[in-house]
Amino acid sequence: MGKRLVSLVVNGRLREEAVGDATLLLDFLREQLGLTGTKRGCDGGECGACTVLVDDAPRLACLTLVARCEGARVETIESQSAGGRMSALQAAFHEKLGTQCGFCTPGMIMAAEALLRGDPAPDEVAIREALGGNLCRCTGYVKIIEAVQAAAGVGTPGDAPRRADATQATR
Amino acid sequence: MERLPAFELRRASSLAEAIGWLAGTPGARAIAGGTDLVPNLRDGLGSPPVLVDLSGIAGLDALVAGDDGVRIGANVTLARLASDAALAQALPAVVQAAASIAAPGHRSVATVGGNLCVDTRCVYYNQSEWWRRSNDYCLKHGGDTCHVAPHGERCHAAYAGDLAPALIVCGARVEIAGPDGTRGIAIEDLYRDDGRAHLALGPGELVAGVVVPVQPPRARSAYRKARARGAIDFPLAGVAVRLSADAGRVASLAVGLTGTNSRPLRLAGTDAWSGRAIDEALLADLGKAVQKQVSPMRTTLTQANWRRQVAAVAAQRLVRELAEAIA
Amino acid sequence: MSLPDRRDPPPAAVGVRQPLVDGVDKVTGAARYTADLAPRDALVGAILRSPVAHATIRGIDTSRARAMPGVRAVVTGEDCAVAYGVIPIAQNEFPLARGRVRYRGEPVAAVAADDPATARAALEAIELDLEPLPAVFDAAAARAEGSVLLHDDKPGNVERAVEQTFGDVDGGFASADLVREQSFHYAEVHQAMMEPNAALAAWDAERGRLTLHSVTQVPYYVHLALARCLRLDESAIRVIKPFVGGGFGHRTETLNFEIVAALLARAAGGTVRLELTREETFLTHRGRPETDVRLKIGLAKSGAITAVEAEVVQRGGAYAGYGLVTILYAGALIHALYRVPASRYKGFRVYANTPPNGAMRGHGSVDVRHAFESLLDAMAAELGLDPFAVRRANLIEAPHRTINDLQVNSCGLAQCLDIVERRSRWRERRGRLPRGHGLGMACSHYVSGSAKPVHWTGEPHAVVNLKLDFDGGITVLTGASDIGQGSSTLLAQAAAEVLRLPMSRFTVFANDSAVTPKDNGSYSSRVSFMVGNAAIRAADELKRVLVAAAARRLEVHPDDVEWEGERCRVAGTDRELAYKEVVTEALRDTGTITAKGAWSTPPETQGGRFRGAAVGSSAGFSYAALVAEVEVDEDTGMVRVVGVWVAHDCGRAINPLSVEGQVQGSVWMGMGQALSEETQYLDGLHARANLLDYRVPTIVESPPIDTSIVEAPDPNGPFGAKEAGEGSLSAFLPALTNAIADAIGLRLDALPASPDRVLEAIVARRRAERLRRAAKPVPQGAD
Repeated sequence: MGKRLVSLVVNGRLREEAVGDATLLLDFLREQLGLTGTKRGCDGGECGACTVLVDDAPRLACLTLVARCEGARVETIESQSAGGRMSALQAAFHEKLGTQCGFCTPGMIMAAEALLRGDPAPDEVAIREALGGNLCRCTGYVKIIEAVQAAAGVGTPGDAPRRADATQATR
Repeated sequence: MERLPAFELRRASSLAEAIGWLAGTPGARAIAGGTDLVPNLRDGLGSPPVLVDLSGIAGLDALVAGDDGVRIGANVTLARLASDAALAQALPAVVQAAASIAAPGHRSVATVGGNLCVDTRCVYYNQSEWWRRSNDYCLKHGGDTCHVAPHGERCHAAYAGDLAPALIVCGARVEIAGPDGTRGIAIEDLYRDDGRAHLALGPGELVAGVVVPVQPPRARSAYRKARARGAIDFPLAGVAVRLSADAGRVASLAVGLTGTNSRPLRLAGTDAWSGRAIDEALLADLGKAVQKQVSPMRTTLTQANWRRQVAAVAAQRLVRELAEAIA
Repeated sequence: MSLPDRRDPPPAAVGVRQPLVDGVDKVTGAARYTADLAPRDALVGAILRSPVAHATIRGIDTSRARAMPGVRAVVTGEDCAVAYGVIPIAQNEFPLARGRVRYRGEPVAAVAADDPATARAALEAIELDLEPLPAVFDAAAARAEGSVLLHDDKPGNVERAVEQTFGDVDGGFASADLVREQSFHYAEVHQAMMEPNAALAAWDAERGRLTLHSVTQVPYYVHLALARCLRLDESAIRVIKPFVGGGFGHRTETLNFEIVAALLARAAGGTVRLELTREETFLTHRGRPETDVRLKIGLAKSGAITAVEAEVVQRGGAYAGYGLVTILYAGALIHALYRVPASRYKGFRVYANTPPNGAMRGHGSVDVRHAFESLLDAMAAELGLDPFAVRRANLIEAPHRTINDLQVNSCGLAQCLDIVERRSRWRERRGRLPRGHGLGMACSHYVSGSAKPVHWTGEPHAVVNLKLDFDGGITVLTGASDIGQGSSTLLAQAAAEVLRLPMSRFTVFANDSAVTPKDNGSYSSRVSFMVGNAAIRAADELKRVLVAAAARRLEVHPDDVEWEGERCRVAGTDRELAYKEVVTEALRDTGTITAKGAWSTPPETQGGRFRGAAVGSSAGFSYAALVAEVEVDEDTGMVRVVGVWVAHDCGRAINPLSVEGQVQGSVWMGMGQALSEETQYLDGLHARANLLDYRVPTIVESPPIDTSIVEAPDPNGPFGAKEAGEGSLSAFLPALTNAIADAIGLRLDALPASPDRVLEAIVARRRAERLRRAAKPVPQGAD
């Protein structure tokens, strides 16, 4: 089967790439663009590890044909720290131990990012709903909820501001 | 890294174009959100030579409320349906059903048309190619035996769309576009009781939209979904109820069911209950009617009898809760 | 990165809520897991799996596959004639089946090809000639008279039968005021770690060397198995563990795909990426076996245990794996939680035609602990004792030696009980909740590392090297596998604490066999305890070298040097040296310094002298108490966990943030097993090999977990620390069913408590009650 040219913006960068009609966005990102932050955790649509944003909405890259993404704006975990500064969600997941093995983390953070763009101060129910399709096997989700709350500034006082300094967060 | 069988993707710009391609290409399939089709293709359940992409068809994602009701275009996403405040007032069962489907990453792209046409499911069917081949395939795909009921003639795969029962109780009609033009049918008539071919669509036909009439005054509706987890899962049983009541008595009652049969059901016999008091006796009759009319088979790993029982319980509870809300 | 001001007090590293040293990589997507590493020109590997549960292999015709363009290698059982297995005395598995296949999904052949489509087509072209044999899918069928044997040397399909008696069991039961016996059944569960299995094997044909990247928890064991199965010298192999997406015991032994990837790479003369699907990852199984437990307990009126008798049958699957260890753990860990004066244990590990089980989190202890805590709870009620009271009546006071020779040197269970009783408001609320709501509690414990290693080489149990170079940075070199539990962070904290240097001075480099010291791996919760101790000793050694260097520069005796990390001074004076000056002095003449620390478990903690005594022995035991609150829907059987209160005695929380994370993860994984997770086979075909039907709980129904840390320091532990990542898991299961009993008066004897099972039990009880009432004359006016 032949390939077609598709133009899309991935992490702010215009890409014109030849893709197969049957190529999944997940494999395009990982294999063709080398953006391996987006993970494959299941055989299709069951775990959320490949969650990315397409035009600001959460999408499962493992169910998305890249040939259908013409003109789309795709954001992956790699886009979330800019200029040495992690996003508030990234900093909070790091500081609050919302990540253990880290494999679900990129998808989890992108799903939470989609939530916060639409609802900057979500309550706990909204957080649980928004992350309902993202399985984590390490944390029991407790610290994931705390991390999203901290990033949104809706947790307990003293939590991280919306953007934190990357080097501070490391320490 | 191709995980899917090869196909040609054609992006339709009009319904006519899509219908033409679907009618003219044997084995061609329509793709809207793809959240049901793509996993099935990954499992080797079909290898369509052509996928007709419906997402570029102008107007198919219109959601229009008018004097005679609401028209929901087939391409309206479940996320949009679930977050529509006006619809939540007018058609709560539909909105609740939409919000209960899968998870946000699916709902952002999955569509109304796709959910109505979602493939039937079975533990012997929704498996990998290796798995099904090791099990001599099944009647629904590639084999000649239904492992659920090996001595029967039919496929028992269960319909597991959430929207259909909600739309059934709201009296919705489906607009079907095809080579011979557009026709409208009651939503129940979209389905057949055959797990292998559960959609009553002819060659080249597509669901173009749903029209939901204005709901009777004082009617209320709701949807409840029985599943093992709080997200992701398909319904093991799903129940929609629309009730209008007057002074504690039934004015009209409609019950829609999913997850239990190869098609969504409208519970038969509820018309006869008009005028009856909404009491334990009515609920008992309702429970019995649900238990009698649903026919869950061993298509899920959760026991079929449990699905039958929770369908009845959910119907009873919804009626009780709606009656209280109306009172 | 900034270093602290000179006037800052020396930093504390232990006890600090320390984010993970590799956490930034995980949240930015920079962390590379095995599947992220494949070079573009890597060949694609794929495995052909048995479609049948049990068969003789008459032949495998690979000629068509080999002839296909783009196919670079095809391997079968012919290519590896050496059996492997984690336990040296029980090696009976081949990476690709030889002679027979024993479960559906067992690898029989593999290919390496230019691309996935060619690899798939090549698998299709391989012809299997299999002669079916009868198959057995559960332990009872496998043990039945005349049943087909999976392994000819194991009559009755019993891999290992254990019989152990300690103390006067009959006397114990005779003296009891209450003796009860009950049977329980537990479904098989699986780790379902988020990262599917993958390996990347590179064969250096010119030099005959192999490099393998894999998802393993035990790179050293993988190294040994590769050398054995490929008949290579161990020094010709390099094993690297990159970031790993969880393990929970799935990866505590060499897995078939790791060897297959290496066989393919060698056969193809290149690099092969082998990524398993989620289904294939399930088929590799290695989880917790389907288990039947028959348990008998004797109690005095006081609640004191007088005797325990248990019979445990585990369906281990088709191959040995860790099997004999699992069945021994099930008996051994009846002990060391409470005082048990007499016990009799019978265990049977049984082969069946299902994927092999392994050492899942809480290895061996979980199902038996559920049975024990359930029966104890029911018996307490019969005696009119509160569930807390009956546990308190049996507390261990450390030091304590159990009757099966386990050495308990610290036990904070009493504090754990006090905390969860208070925080859950047990006394105020228990018995006062509305119908359908209930509170239940249970206790549990676990080892901090198996006291005896699998391979007895005479080497220390753990070694850590610290490398100090011109830049003043210290690299912690360790073979300990951080799989998300935070061990790399803990090791850096341990070294930082001893050297009183800020964490920013430390880099952890782990799991490259060409660089890092050998480590037995991440299993049995051994890393914090054993490797943590080794890290302390390495830091002590480095500190000794640095203090000596400072003393030379300051021209004083080392005893007169006050070490404060970033600076040191001559005691009682203002004479100071900055850390970098000390480093310069220390490196003079010697150059780069490597300090080594090693640790082994003390002999008195290595168990008794009876057969199987090594299993269960540990240098330290963690303890946990847990309260669960549930809401049970009696019409649907749905159980909702409203809240959890857990207290875990980890000796000392080196990183309280990580301890909380480990405890919460354990409790939650216990919840998955208790409520919704189970594998299931249809004639041996895995029917839940996906993440829809294998029901890992989602965030929506997962409860808040109120987590308290108890610190009963262990004399052998690093800074007093014990394990935190397993011990609180098994308390959840019985706490849940005890809470259900409190809510609706129904005691479940089978798990998971899936809604259909619960409703079935409710309906059965109603039916039984109706029959009972029908049998009795009913007084007028009743019912």
